[in-house]
Amino acid sequence: MTLPTATFYYMAAASIASALLAVTRKNPVHSMLWVLVLFLHVAGIFLLLGAEFLAAVQVIVYAGAILIFYLFVVMLLDLPDEEARPRFGKHWPIAAAVGLCVAALAWLARVGTGVAPAATRVAAGGQSEGGLSAIGMALFGPFALPFEMASLLLLAAIIGAVVLARRRAAGS
Amino acid sequence: MIVPVGAVLGLSAVLFGIGVFGFLARRNIILMLISIEVMLNAVNLSLAAFSRHLEDLRGQILALFVIAVAAAEVGVGLGLVIALNRNRPGAGVADLTKLKW
Repeated sequence: MTLPTATFYYMAAASIASALLAVTRKNPVHSMLWVLVLFLHVAGIFLLLGAEFLAAVQVIVYAGAILIFYLFVVMLLDLPDEEARPRFGKHWPIAAAVGLCVAALAWLARVGTGVAPAATRVAAGGQSEGGLSAIGMALFGPFALPFEMASLLLLAAIIGAVVLARRRAAGS
Repeated sequence: MIVPVGAVLGLSAVLFGIGVFGFLARRNIILMLISIEVMLNAVNLSLAAFSRHLEDLRGQILALFVIAVAAAEVGVGLGLVIALNRNRPGAGVADLTKLKW
């Protein structure tokens, strides 16, 4: 087992463990911190897959922006009785069964792609000529329209968030 | 750099299942949103794995768009949570039955 493969299996095990801890912890802040661990390990897997820009975006946007936003809201709302309430709903065994079924389905779906055999290896050295510049060329070339639409979507989300979270004036 | 792509897809499947379980089982709205983030991350992992396997950059670009959509979803979702908490402080998912008939 080479070093990158061993690193990958460590990252995979740590991701699964931190995801499980994140969805089962009682304290929301602890959950957030476990999700942070998950995001960083997923960024490491992106690095192993040769997606350096994606790893950087994962750390900056997910771990840096989105998670901090979550933490701000959790601390802003000050959920006092969250500890007293049962953390799972009544029907959590059904939820566990559904999650298991979805995971099993996705696991089985690997077979149909022709990627499934564990011996399938990606040839080393693919996309070697500058991943970042190639991504930039693709984003502003064939993907220019989706790119602009993403900016429009983010603008709509900004306006929607401001309208939703705004405090209504007393008279209106 | 040699990473088995099948194993990445399996990891993505397991993470997605954990996210589904968290979304369905948790009663806290913020933790349900966090479970959605776990699911989106699983999808990004499989996109990056396919991008590597097929030596095609489109998977990575799709993953970037998924991250943008996740950011938009977080903004609107947490705005809803704040508005909800202002109108009915301390309300959990089980108490929000206004749209039920």
